[in-house]
Parts: sequence; C-alpha cells; structure tokens
Amino acid sequence: MAITVPVCLLFSRSGSYAAVSEHMRAGARLAIDEINTSGGPVAFEPTEADPGGEPRAYIDAARDILDNQKIKHVIGCYTSSSRKDVLPYFEKHDALLWYPSHYEGFETSANVIYTGAAPNQHVMPLARYVLARGWRRAYFIGSNYIWAWENNRILRDVLTSADSEIVGERYLPVGDTDLDAVIRQIVDLRPDFVFNTLIGESAYAFYRRFRDAMPEGLDQAQDMPVVSCSLAEPELASIGPDACDGHLSSSVYFSTVKTRENQRFKAIWRDRYPELGLPSADAEASYVAAHVLARAVEIAGEPGLAAVREAVAGLSIAAPQGPVTIDPDNHHAAMRTRIGRSTREGTFEILTESVSPVKPDPYLVWEEEFRQQRPTRSAPKLRIVR
Amino acid sequence: MTPPVVRNFRGAHALVCHADDGGRATLAATLQQLGLEVTLCDPADGAKPPITNFDVVFFDADDGIDGAAEPLDIPLIALIGVEAPSRLARVVKRRAAAYIIKPVRSSGIYTALVVAFSEHARRKAEADERAALSRRLAGRRPIVKAILHLMRRDGLDDDAAFQSLRTDAMRRRVPVEDVARELIEQADDDDQTAPETRNAKRM
Repeated sequence: MAITVPVCLLFSRSGSYAAVSEHMRAGARLAIDEINTSGGPVAFEPTEADPGGEPRAYIDAARDILDNQKIKHVIGCYTSSSRKDVLPYFEKHDALLWYPSHYEGFETSANVIYTGAAPNQHVMPLARYVLARGWRRAYFIGSNYIWAWENNRILRDVLTSADSEIVGERYLPVGDTDLDAVIRQIVDLRPDFVFNTLIGESAYAFYRRFRDAMPEGLDQAQDMPVVSCSLAEPELASIGPDACDGHLSSSVYFSTVKTRENQRFKAIWRDRYPELGLPSADAEASYVAAHVLARAVEIAGEPGLAAVREAVAGLSIAAPQGPVTIDPDNHHAAMRTRIGRSTREGTFEILTESVSPVKPDPYLVWEEEFRQQRPTRSAPKLRIVR
Repeated sequence: MTPPVVRNFRGAHALVCHADDGGRATLAATLQQLGLEVTLCDPADGAKPPITNFDVVFFDADDGIDGAAEPLDIPLIALIGVEAPSRLARVVKRRAAAYIIKPVRSSGIYTALVVAFSEHARRKAEADERAALSRRLAGRRPIVKAILHLMRRDGLDDDAAFQSLRTDAMRRRVPVEDVARELIEQADDDDQTAPETRNAKRM
C-alpha cells in the first residue's frame, strides 16, 4: 500500500500576480497527478488554497492548513513577503514549506526547502556574463520592492569593483507603466546594457516601448540589450512578437533545455495545459518540488517531518533542467545556471550554461566577488571548548 | 567617515558562550552556513577561551551575574531570553552591538552580525576620532604658548608664528602639538640657564 501524503498547494491563482502563480500551481499539480497515477510507493492527497495575492489571506490560509487540517507539507508562495509572513507558522507547527521560486536569497530555514534559484545562481552568472562581454556602462530599472533592490545591490557591487559604471538607476511603483521619461533618459545616456528588474505589466510595457523608442540606425537588442533574472516564456508571450526577441535572461531552466526529462515534461505540459503556453522556470521548480517531496517520503518510508528532512538532505533527482540536488546545509538546490537569449517564437536560445550544477549560496558567502579583507580559511569548522 | 557595511563573514571566528541547547545548535549551524568558524563554550563548564582569538562573541544575557566586564574591542552580540531589567542592564553595560531574542531562529542571525560588525566598526572609528580630538585639545595650550613665544622672540604676527610651527611639524612628520611642546620646553630651559634675563624681564 502506498504511503499517503497530505499536501496543500498555496498559490494565488487570483490577484495581482495570478499569471505566474497559475504556472507554478500547474507545475506542482502535474507532478502530483503523475505520481498518483504511477502506482508508485507514494500517493499525494492534495488540497489547494488561493490567498488571492493578499498578505492577510496568506496568514489565514497558513493557520487553516497547519492548525485545522494538520497538513505538514505545503508547496507554494511566490513573493518573498508571503513566504516571510507564513514562515513563523511553519516553525510553530514544525511543517515544511516547499518554496519553488527563484528569489533574492539571504534566508535559510529548517522549515523551508527552496527549489528555485538562489542569487549565486541567477544574478551572479549574469554579472559575470556582462563583464565578460566587456559591457561597462549599465542602467538599472526596476519595480520598487525587495527583488529589484537586492539584485541591483549585488550587481552594483560586482560592477563597481570591476571598474564599471552605473549611469542611471530608477525604480517605478509595481504595475506603473508611465515609462516615457525614463526611456528617453536611457536612450540619451546610451548604456551598454539595461538591467531590468521590473515585474508584470511594467516589464511588458518597458520591453515594447523601449524598442519603439530606438532612434534611427540603432538596433535595441544589439546596441542596448536588456538583461534580467526573471524573464521567462510566459512573459515573452505577454510582450508580444514585435518586441519579445533579443533579451537576455539568467535562469536555471528554459523550455529549450535539451534533456529527455524536459522533452517528456513539455509534452505532458502541452497536453494538460494548452492554454498556458510553454512552461516557465518557476513552473518547473514547482514540478521539481513535488517530485523531490515524493522521493524524500519514499526514502523516509513515512511523511513525518524529521524523517523527510533527513531524507531530503543531499537528495538528487533527474529534473527537466537536469540533475537537481538538495543541499544538506542550506536546503536550497544545486542546479546548472544558464544564460538565454529570447527569440521571436517566444522561447530562449541558450547561450551559455555552467558545466556542472552550482552549489546554492543564498548568503553569497563563497562568491569571490564578495570576499572581504579577512584571510581565507578552510571550510567552516566547529569547535567545542570544555 | 562611515566605515563600509560588512556583509560577508567568511573566515571570521565566532565564540558562542551559551549552554548546550537547541538554540545554540541553530546559531552554530547558521553561523557555519554564513562561512564563520565557530567555537562553542558553555559558561557552566567554566572554560573561558581567550577573547582576543575571536572576531565576534555571542553571550547569554540570561545567565550569570558578573557586572560590568571590561569593555572588549570586538563586536558583542547578546542572546536575550528574559527581558528583565537586571539582565538587560548587563547587555547595556557590556555594550552589546546587537542582540538576538530567544528562541534563536535562523532568521535574525545574519541581521545581528551585519549590525554588530558595522556598529563596532563605527564605534572604533568614532573612538579614534575622539582620541585625535582629545590630543588636539590637550595641545591647544602649548600651541598658544609656542605662538606667543615665537611672536615675542622673532617678532612675527600670530599667523606667521603658527605657519612656522606647522612647517616645522610637516618637515619632521610629527604632530604640530609636539613641536609646540618642544619649543616651550626649550624656551623654559633657556630661561633657566639665563636667570638674569628672566629677572631682568620681570623688573
């Protein structure tokens, strides 16, 4: 008889970031149904909650899931603020949140498994890529919240210590599409590239109008490329065919990754969700989260927290993006990093990828660019004085 | 001048003085993830590793009754469980640069490190600045005396007298206060070797 695992999917399928949540929920659901119909040793009992993007509703949902339904495994959250809001409840009930989105890092918790990319797996590879291309003058544009602030801080630190220059930096309210003035300024300053941390409607409008604003003789993708850590296939569809090509994105997954698992994943995704287009990185991370959970329960032989936590440390699965291994120390995932260039067809051409999976480093402790004055010692040691 | 904000603690050495419990284990594990080397000590064991070997010390505010220990020249982070005034007084007297409220969670530790290192660096910078100011303040009287002396001896105005002191200090690469003190001592010695002159002046 299969081991039954009650699991709740906590995604805002309504509200301001419904589109990306819908993708993530679809990825998790796909894996759950796959596991349940496989006749394998684990069977999920899924429930769902939709907080509608409202902070208050996340807390109510967490209380209901953990307190009333006594569920111990939750796959969900997209924004960092929603994760931070529900985390104390997961600690109190000793439950696990399987968090499947790339994010800005600087967190580890014994009650969270992170299957999205950490900053050393998205913004750092991007920083190295632009430096290697010799692009020295950057313009930063972003939505006014933590994702943009922290990614800009990291890229600024790396660029300025490499004799590069940030010629301008602007933040717009989330959802703002009043872009004419800032686009005029960028075109006048003529940076080597634009680092974009805008999200949602602001981002789509920016990509379209920035290209429209190019003076005669300038090719936007060639002369002022836009680079980001969050551009994925669904956004390309929202930008539309006239402006969706030629942008660079740093991600651990693109739908064009060539693995047998990805071929299969894309086929079942297309059959199941024809209306959702191609799967995004966060959809894949959600699919991975459910598979890692199932595999950990299988190894543990039970869905209990202590046993699953032990089983998940170092656990590796063959994901659509390639091998994904949960780091035993920080509960993030080792994954290959990639830089892709968007195409007119709404996919990405993969330009570079790391030769092997990159160990997650959520606090950027081990990145050479952030080494400070102190002498290096070997791996951290623990000593007890008596 | 504001010292830069320290964000990376790789290779730093932390001493954690706290009884062996779950909170200490969480703290040690998180510090190691942040790249620090960690030494644990339980105050109940009586072992006290020399503080000077460490870059940061975490101490248990709840435990112990020692009063104002001598101020330490490294960042201190208090682990606070009981918010009773007698406990908090120790935190204040020891000049903890940051604190963590128990139970220790993985979140909050990085914050405490960033704040403690930055706060400590700023205190150090301010203490250096204060020392420099005190030195200058203490040197004011000798400088005034030296200027008066030069004005009298060489017939200079005050600006020229000060400029002469400064030029001398810069040439010899010593503080201008030292030059002033030497000059006065020299002048006093000269006076003593020539008592008649002194007496003559007094008359």
